[in-house]
Amino acid sequence: MRILIVEDDAALSSFLRKGLEAEHHAVDVANEGNQGRAMAMEFDYDLVVLDLNLPGVDGLSVLRSLRQRKANLPVMILTARSRVEDRVQCLDSGADDYLVKPFSFLELSARARALLRRSHLPSESILTVRDLCLDRVERKVARAGRHIELTTKEFALLEYLMRNAGRRLTRAMIIEHVWNLTFDSTTNVVDVYINYLRRKVDDGFSPSLIHTVRGVGYQMCPEGASA
Amino acid sequence: MSASPHSFSKPPRGPDVLGELLHSLSQPLTSLRCSLELSIEEAAEQQQESVAVALQQTEKVIAMIQLMREYLDAEQPGPEAFSTALAPSMRSVIQELSSIAAVRDVRLRLVGTCTATVPVPESRLRLALQYLIASMIEGQPAGGKVMLLLGEGPAGAVLRVEGERGFRELDFRAMEQSATSPQAKRDPAGVTSASESTLRRVRLAIASRVLETAGASLVFGDAGHTRVDPAGFVLRIPRRLGPPAR
Repeated sequence: MRILIVEDDAALSSFLRKGLEAEHHAVDVANEGNQGRAMAMEFDYDLVVLDLNLPGVDGLSVLRSLRQRKANLPVMILTARSRVEDRVQCLDSGADDYLVKPFSFLELSARARALLRRSHLPSESILTVRDLCLDRVERKVARAGRHIELTTKEFALLEYLMRNAGRRLTRAMIIEHVWNLTFDSTTNVVDVYINYLRRKVDDGFSPSLIHTVRGVGYQMCPEGASA
Repeated sequence: MSASPHSFSKPPRGPDVLGELLHSLSQPLTSLRCSLELSIEEAAEQQQESVAVALQQTEKVIAMIQLMREYLDAEQPGPEAFSTALAPSMRSVIQELSSIAAVRDVRLRLVGTCTATVPVPESRLRLALQYLIASMIEGQPAGGKVMLLLGEGPAGAVLRVEGERGFRELDFRAMEQSATSPQAKRDPAGVTSASESTLRRVRLAIASRVLETAGASLVFGDAGHTRVDPAGFVLRIPRRLGPPAR
């Protein structure tokens, strides 16, 4: 996929480019609003990652111009503004997603994939990682043909891991997406639920699919390499 | 770099200065976090642990920055256009926190309902309720119970939250004192406890400000005096914040 990053901070745009290129995307960078708008209009991108505070033309103006000419181009906004009113303004102006700084690259990468998937593919009702299958409609899970009983929260956690198979997920990302909380409680609830899942999904099966990534969080590994 | 939202003729003051500083911090912190995340896999095995520790410390700083932003936001009244019904938000927050309560072996029970609305955006009300109820859950012993009683009277809506243990100021002070003692300085776990207690107090302060700025009143239970009585907090939402008269 071809992605345009419009971000004036050279260090940040360089890290984003490096990370997205490592995920096999073709990445262009524009350092100011006019340049970003011109590139987005001229070339055929699959996603634009757009900072709000830009020299020249600001991000919201770029977004509004894009919406007039390229209504279906997915745009993810990056901003340091976190208030609800700011989010509403961005979404009302046509943004598809909104990420508040200081964000995690892993979060940006996951959201970029979701936007690219949404614009290119119909939503999958059955997720598969090796011999593990999750049916989102029937709410059923099976591994190697054997039915696995999961609670609602375990199901949501497994679905999130499978949707992001092969990607590293931080505990903060998991707690935000699965529990809808923006803070980590002292309960280590993510670790506890990962253990519950491992007992049901990995114990008695080979290879193990849920891996701990030291210092980061967890990863569902489609290759089944040892953790 | 990013343009300042303030004109030069009118220098920013008080919360605006802090807001600008936090805003400016977010850019280098994003670069630092992304850089460490991308480095962790590339680093040689003997350096991976150092990178992981640096990443964890960066995430702690980011969590603090996030709380500072939330506190600043809570200081400002929400836009009048927002009005959020209390009861559905309560039910949804309890649903979200139920698995955390289960992990701690604490029972959560909500009784009653109300029609009151609070003039804050839904996300802000939910954040305040999450902070309050999560702190109650974390304060209970294993096997404990948190009762949430929601009702409505002539004066307005009342949410009464009771547990075996409330928000005991003495506990917080004891944690802080132990963290600054010479033994605690040799004990990283003690420092972590103090940091957690600080985070918890800041979250409670944010919750209080969000609700009080919206015209509600929040009173924390006096568990320090009566160890046998249930303790927690009482949230009162005056009638004027409720649904408009028909």
